[in-house]
Amino acid sequence: MENIDGGFAPEKGGAATRSGFSFDRGWLLVIAVVLTITALIVSRPDPFKRIFFFVQDGIWVTISVTVISFLLMLITGLIVALLRLTKSAFIKAVATSYVEIIRGIPLLVQLLFWYFAFPTVIQSIGKALRFSLFENYLANPVAMAVVGLTFCYSAYMSEVYRAGIQSISKGQMEAARSLGMSYVQAMRYVILPQAVRVILPPVGNEFISLLKDSSLISVVAVADMTRRGREFMAANFIPIETWVMVALLYLIMTLVAARVVHWIEIKTRLEK
Amino acid sequence: MEDPIIHIENVVKHFDKVAALRGISLDIMRGEVVVIIGPSGSGKSTLLRCINRLEEYDEGLIVVDGIPLNSAENINTVRTEVGMVFQQFNLFPHLKVIDNITLAQRIVRKRPKAEAEKQAYDLLEKVGIPDKAQAYPWQLSGGQQQRVAIARALAMNPKIMLFDEPTSALDPEMIQEVLDVMLNLAKEGMTMVVVSHEMGFAKAAADRAILMDEGYIIEEALPEVLFTNPKHERTKLFLSKVL
Ligand SMILES: Nc1ncnc2c1ncn2[C@@H]1O[C@H](COP(=O)(O)OP(=O)(O)OP(=O)(O)O)[C@@H](O)[C@H]1O
Ligand SMILES: [Mg+2]
Repeated sequence: MENIDGGFAPEKGGAATRSGFSFDRGWLLVIAVVLTITALIVSRPDPFKRIFFFVQDGIWVTISVTVISFLLMLITGLIVALLRLTKSAFIKAVATSYVEIIRGIPLLVQLLFWYFAFPTVIQSIGKALRFSLFENYLANPVAMAVVGLTFCYSAYMSEVYRAGIQSISKGQMEAARSLGMSYVQAMRYVILPQAVRVILPPVGNEFISLLKDSSLISVVAVADMTRRGREFMAANFIPIETWVMVALLYLIMTLVAARVVHWIEIKTRLEK
Repeated sequence: MEDPIIHIENVVKHFDKVAALRGISLDIMRGEVVVIIGPSGSGKSTLLRCINRLEEYDEGLIVVDGIPLNSAENINTVRTEVGMVFQQFNLFPHLKVIDNITLAQRIVRKRPKAEAEKQAYDLLEKVGIPDKAQAYPWQLSGGQQQRVAIARALAMNPKIMLFDEPTSALDPEMIQEVLDVMLNLAKEGMTMVVVSHEMGFAKAAADRAILMDEGYIIEEALPEVLFTNPKHERTKLFLSKVL
């Protein structure tokens, strides 16, 4: 997660050329993984087909939790980035502290806090204030997982946004302001449209990290792919087959996401 | 006597410990063209940027067209009346030339699209590149980009134009095309404050030339006088280096 340009960074001067469409060879690996899964299921339905159908609903949980958290953090990350770029020293300090604190605590610990500790905090407040809605508060595992992932990843995302905004020369903001635009107008019409092109690839890589890190929510009672894998193993005790299958399913998702990121990077590069 | 359109009174500006302006007073009349020269770091850009408040000053007062620059509201009003042209052009690279010129008209002046585009085409005609409306900035030469930047500023119908070394980032063969646009503007009676060492332009268009050094105005005079027969030692020294 720390490494924004991590293992999935699209290779420089990739497969696409300036002259029209060219096949991105990265897809070959995707096809290879799909074929492997198919081959396993067809050649040994027991246990591979059983595993697949068992973890299937977990696939959707993993995807939806990842996508929802990602959409939320796109917004919250931007807000944090803008707060860090304000002139007000106080607001800047608050936003910076948030980012520093979040980045200093393991994601797993944060998720455990949101699921186990946070509801207790709310209940105590409810008791103290005799506010029954809070007193009877029960944590919804999926909601807490989304909150935990969003809260953590917004900090990382804000750094991506901040770098993107700062990569746009100061002269752009000055030109916009000198034409009478407000700060918000200048951001919206001049700075962010340019920054978006810079940040799309690293934002895509954050998505891939998030997809992988979402496996941690399996410890806070969310029936994602990883948790379903554990349940299957507990009942059948065939660890090798189970974890190979789960790993391949994660791999296919991250590889597809990486190809999409690569494609976006090529697109935005050509527009320059 | 008529009121000055720009009134600058004892303006002081520091960057941390560096003094950029140390008490500048200057009145500029409507329709006047003032050229500012001076060594690097003397505070020329800072003075221009204080006039439209891209930079805040520490002490003193600046009044633009009767509006004192103090509240945020006033700053935005003033900015729409003061156009600025930068050394590095600062065109918006993600927008076509036409959109560069219409963007602020539409979102700040709230002009309808057709009206903003009409204005843009008229101005492109005026700066001599009517055929470049659909180009992106990177497809233009430096001289063309700077002319678009001038058109973009003029599109807001400013009463004052500020130029910060508009030709110093240009290849020599492109300087004149930009200066010609500025000369025409001066002839039409635009109030202009120009930081530039282009003596030809100063002599042809300026009513006054000012030499700044170390945050002070050292000398001001008619351009011919300042360039050929300056009173102050520092002006002589500076001119001997530039010429
Ligand atoms: N944003 C800034 N932060 C810190 N110091 C600055 C800043 N802008 C200008 N200065 C300092 O203020 C002084 C005046 O700078 P200014 O840019 O106004 O000079 P200038 O006359 O325009 O010079 P040049 O001919 O090089 O453009 C210089 O000492 C400069 O280093
Ligand atoms: Mg300067």
